[in-house]
Amino acid sequence: MSTIVDIAVSNEDFNTLVTAVKVADLVEALQSPGPFTVFAPVDAAFAKLPPNTVNNLVQNPPQLARILKFHVASGIWKKADLASVDSLDSLEGSSIPIRVKDDLFEVKNATVIASDIEASNGIIHVIDTVILMG
Amino acid sequence: MTTAPTLDQTTLPPSSHEFAEVIHRLEAGGSMLPDTPENLMQIIGIYKAYAVPMDFYWRDLLYIGERVFLNPLPAFKYFISKDYLERHNTYSGDKSPLRIWRGRGEVHPELEEFMATGELGMKLPKLIHHLWHDRVNMEFAEACMRAMFWHRDINPRFNDYLYCEAYLEECDRAIRAYFKRNPLMLGLYKLFPDMFIEQARQASYYANLGLFWEVMAPVFFEMSDIYDEGGFKSVPDAMDFLVNGIFAVAGRPIYHHVYVGDECFELIPKSAGFTWLYEAALPYVEAVFYRTSPFRGTKSYNAQAGQVPADQKDFHYGILYADVFPVGSAGIPPTLLMQDMLHFLPPYLVEYYRQHCRSDDDTLIQLGITFQRSMYNVTSAVIQALRTALLYPLDDSNPEHLKANREFFEAQMDRLTRSEARLRDIQRQSYR
Repeated sequence: MSTIVDIAVSNEDFNTLVTAVKVADLVEALQSPGPFTVFAPVDAAFAKLPPNTVNNLVQNPPQLARILKFHVASGIWKKADLASVDSLDSLEGSSIPIRVKDDLFEVKNATVIASDIEASNGIIHVIDTVILMG
Repeated sequence: MTTAPTLDQTTLPPSSHEFAEVIHRLEAGGSMLPDTPENLMQIIGIYKAYAVPMDFYWRDLLYIGERVFLNPLPAFKYFISKDYLERHNTYSGDKSPLRIWRGRGEVHPELEEFMATGELGMKLPKLIHHLWHDRVNMEFAEACMRAMFWHRDINPRFNDYLYCEAYLEECDRAIRAYFKRNPLMLGLYKLFPDMFIEQARQASYYANLGLFWEVMAPVFFEMSDIYDEGGFKSVPDAMDFLVNGIFAVAGRPIYHHVYVGDECFELIPKSAGFTWLYEAALPYVEAVFYRTSPFRGTKSYNAQAGQVPADQKDFHYGILYADVFPVGSAGIPPTLLMQDMLHFLPPYLVEYYRQHCRSDDDTLIQLGITFQRSMYNVTSAVIQALRTALLYPLDDSNPEHLKANREFFEAQMDRLTRSEARLRDIQRQSYR
């Protein structure tokens, strides 16, 4: 089975995310056995950020890495598992609010547009908005 | 004339909050400050007057944090070195590696001229201008730094780092190098290490605020230039420019490097991951706009009578609450800023103040209230930026999302319901 990074690289909706992960030097970490739960923003999510936000982050890899780590949690958390929790601790350190109820699946202010994509080292939920700490 | 509340794109009933009109305006993409040409003219004019001394503040804060560092007798800390005065802005100017703003990267010409001649209008030795207090009031910048340093609970990650092993080890190396030719200070360091480390922590906040304002000065200069070209048509236009600016540099590294000779000690390396938004801008707004501390002569210090809050989080002495008239007394930080801004007012604002109140005799108070209006607009930009980052678009089609936005705006306005807050006052133009 493919790793989280392999799945992201093979999907044309994750070009910005893949570039960001490479710049932030997180490829190796996300290729490791983990397991991880990744909330992966699509390209359109990055495009929604105001001008220059992504450019400036790309020029500052440690700061970019911090934002990206906020999209990752330890362990495998499928949608069904997340129904019983209010939040997950991200690798960045801050907690990520989660809301799962019937058809609703929201991660902070993002909506999950594809869930439970299985990888060899974790699981991916695709989100429509870049989530930020705070 | 104020902007009419617009609820067209919402499906929510009107807010019943005391500041419902302001909340509806925020929900329509507006600012806490009413959208009038007079307000726009005032806030842009004062941003320009603020940006000029700020161009000195950020340079000197970095000079003090990085070079003056633990000097036990820092009598010349406001005598910025040539290198720091000529330091090119990171985000503005032709030589900027990460240019975002179109202005110059070098020190502003009006600041250069003022530093040479002062209010006296005479080129005298720097020491004379300094002793005559005819100079930029760096004491204001230091008061803001101290507010951030003292209200340390608002910046938990940054503050935790100041107590971590990596910071303490690098501090120790820097202190030993800094005092290597001063056995007396090295002896004192051995006896009272914590005292020196605490001074280093303060220097880290000098660097923090310097890096924060390095960004804000070119933002305000550009806003003034755009206005002069006829570019901004409304208060929300000006606020949106600030919101975009906040996002553009949100990821700027906040760090503290100390230089002893040619050697650099990375007390807080860029790799620590601290960012302009989280570790500088948001703590600054909380510490300086909302909290600060009572200024001498403006507030009773009778803590037993409950005249000063027991909890720091309840402090409410920032610009959003200030009664500018008593705060305008001599020697206290806001007055020092007003005095600094007085030197760089654009002509249209000078003319405007002449037409009101006591004309030239109370310009300091009038410009202080303009500054208050302008900071309500900056705070609105921060509120809208937080809403963008953490919540939902204003035109979101999901009523639950709009409700969450509403709750956020109402919670922000709750902080401004106390009697000292000036939100009510800035709704009317006659407040001067």
